[in-house]
Amino acid sequence: MISLTSPVRTRAHDWPAGAKIAGLCVASVVLFAAPSVAVQTMAACGVLVLYALPGRAFFVHGLLRLWPLWPFVAVLILWHLAIAAPREGAVIVLRMLSAVGLANLVTMTTTLAAMMDVVNRLLRPFARLGVNLRAIELAAAMVIRFTPVLAQKGGALALSWRARSRRLAGWRVIVPFLVLALDDAEHVAEALRARGGFEGDGQR
Amino acid sequence: MLHLDAVDLAIEERSILREISIATDARRVAVLGRNGSGKTTLARVVAGLQRPNSGIVQIAGVDVARDRRGALGAVGILFQNPDHQIIFPTVEEELAFGLAQMGLPKTEVVERVRTVLARFGKSEWQYAAIHQLSQGQRQLVCLMAILAMAPEVIVLDEPFAGLDIPTAMHLARVLDAVEGTLVHITHDPRMILDYEHAVWIEGGAVQMQGPAARVAQAFEAAMRELGARDDLTDLSG
Amino acid sequence: MNTERNVAQIALFTALIAALGLIPQLTLAFGVPITAQSLGVMLCGTVLGARRGCYAALLFVGLVALGLPLLAGGRGGLGLFTAPTAGFLIGFPAAALVTGLMTERLGSMSIGWAAGIAAALGGILVLYIFGIGGLALVLGRSVPEAALLVTAFIPGDIIKAVLAGLITAALYRARPHAVMSRG
Repeated sequence: MISLTSPVRTRAHDWPAGAKIAGLCVASVVLFAAPSVAVQTMAACGVLVLYALPGRAFFVHGLLRLWPLWPFVAVLILWHLAIAAPREGAVIVLRMLSAVGLANLVTMTTTLAAMMDVVNRLLRPFARLGVNLRAIELAAAMVIRFTPVLAQKGGALALSWRARSRRLAGWRVIVPFLVLALDDAEHVAEALRARGGFEGDGQR
Repeated sequence: MLHLDAVDLAIEERSILREISIATDARRVAVLGRNGSGKTTLARVVAGLQRPNSGIVQIAGVDVARDRRGALGAVGILFQNPDHQIIFPTVEEELAFGLAQMGLPKTEVVERVRTVLARFGKSEWQYAAIHQLSQGQRQLVCLMAILAMAPEVIVLDEPFAGLDIPTAMHLARVLDAVEGTLVHITHDPRMILDYEHAVWIEGGAVQMQGPAARVAQAFEAAMRELGARDDLTDLSG
Repeated sequence: MNTERNVAQIALFTALIAALGLIPQLTLAFGVPITAQSLGVMLCGTVLGARRGCYAALLFVGLVALGLPLLAGGRGGLGLFTAPTAGFLIGFPAAALVTGLMTERLGSMSIGWAAGIAAALGGILVLYIFGIGGLALVLGRSVPEAALLVTAFIPGDIIKAVLAGLITAALYRARPHAVMSRG
């Protein structure tokens, strides 16, 4: 499974993930605290510029990822026209687009490994309180490994249904799917145990 | 019975099937091909589960991709792994499913389930739970589920893969006795030597088509020749 | 029960929720399409129980934040946490937790009913509290106004809660030991 990091390399790819996330938090707070249309417009333009810098492919891809927000933009525009508060509407729409845009930017310029590093560092102090870091790491790896596998098995079940029916698969298909997932969990647990498991917890 | 004419299929811009044409009334048809040759996709096309981009697909006179209702009576498909195929927890429910989907009245569904179980001497399985059955027994349940629907053509997608010798022999005997048309997809020519018609699929296109023994021989020779070469990059799948 | 089994079950369930988003749409009996993934959170609670279900949901949300395309349609990344629907995502672990707790508490009822009610309480009531809160915040609307926006989705989610009950009951019949919310 591929992460959502953009294959188009930017300078931001090399910046430390922690700094980017912290920056995102600060920017989000600022955005939500600024009620002026002028500030929001400038911010939105700034975000557009950031997307445009790495080139056309990056820009297009980035904007496409904002597309799912269109129903909210539509609702907001209609609502604010109806209550005759266009400025307020503009602030909210721009703020929303900028916030999502910036957040996506961080995701697009940060590798999965870098993100996991940040999580690791954040969780390290909790290890003493009993949080099993190694378990979390392995769990994450297993999710990445098994999502496509389970998707394939689910697809096979859905196909088996369609082969004997006129319609697409019904909800009943989820039951054997659950069974498959839980069976896989048994096998994986076995494999884990066979390779040392969590005995003498991770000195990673 | 099987009528495919200039079937083309591309998935996400990759050409999977090219100009496939098969016309035969043979009762035992084999589709031979390496892994990745497109034979599995062809199986789905024949079963009406995948619509081609162009070309005609008519099984027992039914346009199986478009006419799903007719397709249920025309073609059935047995997949490789019963665990990825069985949807319901009990034998009875699994066998009844397709029949109910065909729109048969409840009494007839019950009747057909009982008949197919009796035909294989497994009447005691009626209330059995699937997870009590062995792998081979589950594969039999899958086959019974299809036979209960009595399609004219049954597609077998590598049914012997992973079965131990006794189970494979049992399954082979059961398949031999099936009265309809069998379309057997496989990469192992030895299983289909006494079939009537065979189609060799290579790279999504028909490489050779004709009497099974002859095609199987050519296929095996070509495969062994490929295997004799040192170059691993040649192997697909 | 040992750690490896716990971790594997949680991880596989998380993968299951993600995989449910990858399977082409399922239909209800009347041909109405549903997205299977939203059932996943409810099932976390009803099948795995409160603690493990909550962890699975937490893992799911965490991995989405890390940039994995686990949400239906291959969506993921931090953008989802600043979007109007952020509350509905952030609320997953709480929803799974409450669903699991209720399924466990309603032990005297038949599993189907217990699971269905729990799924409604956790997967709808609790989740919507988070969801509406987030919506109100991002869209700059009042809570009642935000609530109005999502009322259209409630009937669909009630159906999903019912399905969660049915699925859990069916799983319990097929594999009683698999339903951990019933010990």
